Amino acid sequence: MGKITLDLFRYDQAVDAEPHRDRVDIDFPETATVLDALEYAKAEVDGSISFRRSCRSAICGSCSMNINGVTGLACKTPISTVLRKDNSVKIDPMPNFEPMKDMVVHMDPFWDKYSRLKPYLQPADKDSDHERERRVSPEDMKKLVAVANCVMCATCYSLCPVVSVDPSFAGPAAISYAYRFIEDTRDSKQKERVAQISDDYLWLCAHCYACSYCPKHVDPHDRIIDTKRKSIEIGMLDGAGPRHALVVAKTIKATGMLGENEVVIGTVGRFNFRGILKIMPLGLRMAAKGKVPPLIMHPVDKVDEIRTIFNAMEVPVAS
Amino acid sequence: MTAILADAPAKRRSKSAETKRYGFFPGCVAKESCTELFNSTLLLADKLGIELVELTAASCCGASVLNDINRDVARVLNARTYAQAEALGLDDVITICSTCTGHMRASNKELLEDGTAMEHANGILGKFNASYKGTVSVRHLLWLLIDDIGLDNLSKMVVNPLNGLKVAPFYGCHIIRPESVNGWESARNPHSLEDLIEALGGEAIDYAGKTRCCGFHVQLEKDGIAPNMVGQNMRMAKDKGAEAVLTPCPLCHLALDGYQADSAARWGRTDLPTFHLPQLVGLALGVDATKLGLKRHVISPGEVLQAHDLAPMHVA
Repeated sequence: MGKITLDLFRYDQAVDAEPHRDRVDIDFPETATVLDALEYAKAEVDGSISFRRSCRSAICGSCSMNINGVTGLACKTPISTVLRKDNSVKIDPMPNFEPMKDMVVHMDPFWDKYSRLKPYLQPADKDSDHERERRVSPEDMKKLVAVANCVMCATCYSLCPVVSVDPSFAGPAAISYAYRFIEDTRDSKQKERVAQISDDYLWLCAHCYACSYCPKHVDPHDRIIDTKRKSIEIGMLDGAGPRHALVVAKTIKATGMLGENEVVIGTVGRFNFRGILKIMPLGLRMAAKGKVPPLIMHPVDKVDEIRTIFNAMEVPVAS
Repeated sequence: MTAILADAPAKRRSKSAETKRYGFFPGCVAKESCTELFNSTLLLADKLGIELVELTAASCCGASVLNDINRDVARVLNARTYAQAEALGLDDVITICSTCTGHMRASNKELLEDGTAMEHANGILGKFNASYKGTVSVRHLLWLLIDDIGLDNLSKMVVNPLNGLKVAPFYGCHIIRPESVNGWESARNPHSLEDLIEALGGEAIDYAGKTRCCGFHVQLEKDGIAPNMVGQNMRMAKDKGAEAVLTPCPLCHLALDGYQADSAARWGRTDLPTFHLPQLVGLALGVDATKLGLKRHVISPGEVLQAHDLAPMHVA
């Protein structure tokens, strides 16, 4: 047992103009979880402390909240791993959501993005055409297992920096779920699904791995990369994202190096004059300080070896 | 939770640390738009008495982008780079970019842990008589400074202390996340840059933006995303009193240095000069300030350097 201070975000949207913080002192074992501590504080100190919870074992996905700046499941977070130097734990509602009451947030944007995926199997034929269930080989099932572990706790969505500045981005969980249906051999809407998730800014992922804090090891960042690869594989090459990937590959194959100039122009689009005008101010600011990549890139030593790798692996590059 | 890799560099004395001779992978940006990073790294190495052997045949690490096209190609390219280091008798490959660090370590982890991946890579390297045995560790210059040189030694070497300069650390994603690939320090609460800043006589600013993303990798995908991410983070730093930013990643440097002018409309003016890691360490250790490329910043560090008596205005 030890003295622990819960440093809590307090707010009731129905009553309060502004949120405030409460510090609640409890005697509690550090080996317990953050959820245990909150339950104890609610039962023994202040019954008005609000948070979502149900299963207490990382299955229901209800108790995600921001603990010392990183979102996670309160039921899966031992206090000992997050205790600050002054024996306190700072608890806030999930960022990227509108707070409702204390740690309870409005989840609607998260569910809306999930619903847009049509998150159910859409087979090509009717169940009645089959004598038995549709079967999936263990090999094909492997691709779906990681996403099947998702409990929709929205930890990834709440930590996503792109969502924080552009709420139109689908976010890591929705893209992972899109992948789960795109790769399901029983589904017949692969192209429609890739097109839909591309419209919801698949390529806006910033590669930051904030979603690697997923408490269920869905690894959304890897599922996002898988989905991008799928979209290129089925020939959806329009847009800055696919252009970027293909021109990066082209420059590496040509010289061994990622050629910054060619990548910028190739991503924006050589004949996209409006796009090029938009990036001009930054280019000029940099040029004024001499920050200009070389106009002609010299190949690295033994560049033939690099081309051999690209050719042997049949890696597509921009033309 | 933190999975420490088999080749994690923490508390490990490599052969390179003994011989003070390291493989050096500068990456693309340090050889193109950020040559000041490349040059200041070599000047700092000189000051530290270590030899950085540049891997001149190395390719781009894949820059987190090649994976979008092909699952395996970046791993094979990186295996080729490690094979070069092995052929030169070098067991450490030192990077100066967070993205290079993360992606080269991810490749190495796959190669070392998955025999099929290693066999596949060596099958292709065999076409030009190269092979990777699996003896290389990928480490960032920041880790070398702390593990091999040591903070105590570094602070003893300081001839030009930072005089309380308030510096906001900005880690960059790929040097800390995912933890399963990096694992050198906590991704949730890293403090190596803070420790370094304090060892050089500066004051480290604590702010929530230090482990967040700069937006570099999506700057061309949609307008406004990267400037907003930059603005959000720099606002937090500025509000905590930062006078400058220190980053181990040239991609973060490009975004933070380049986009603060664009983010001002929404986030207010921040104008924080952004130092590359070896620039600020070099300055404190007495590297000639005129050679650190301080004039090559969009946001000039001249005023803050002069205010803290660190360098005359004309060098920046």
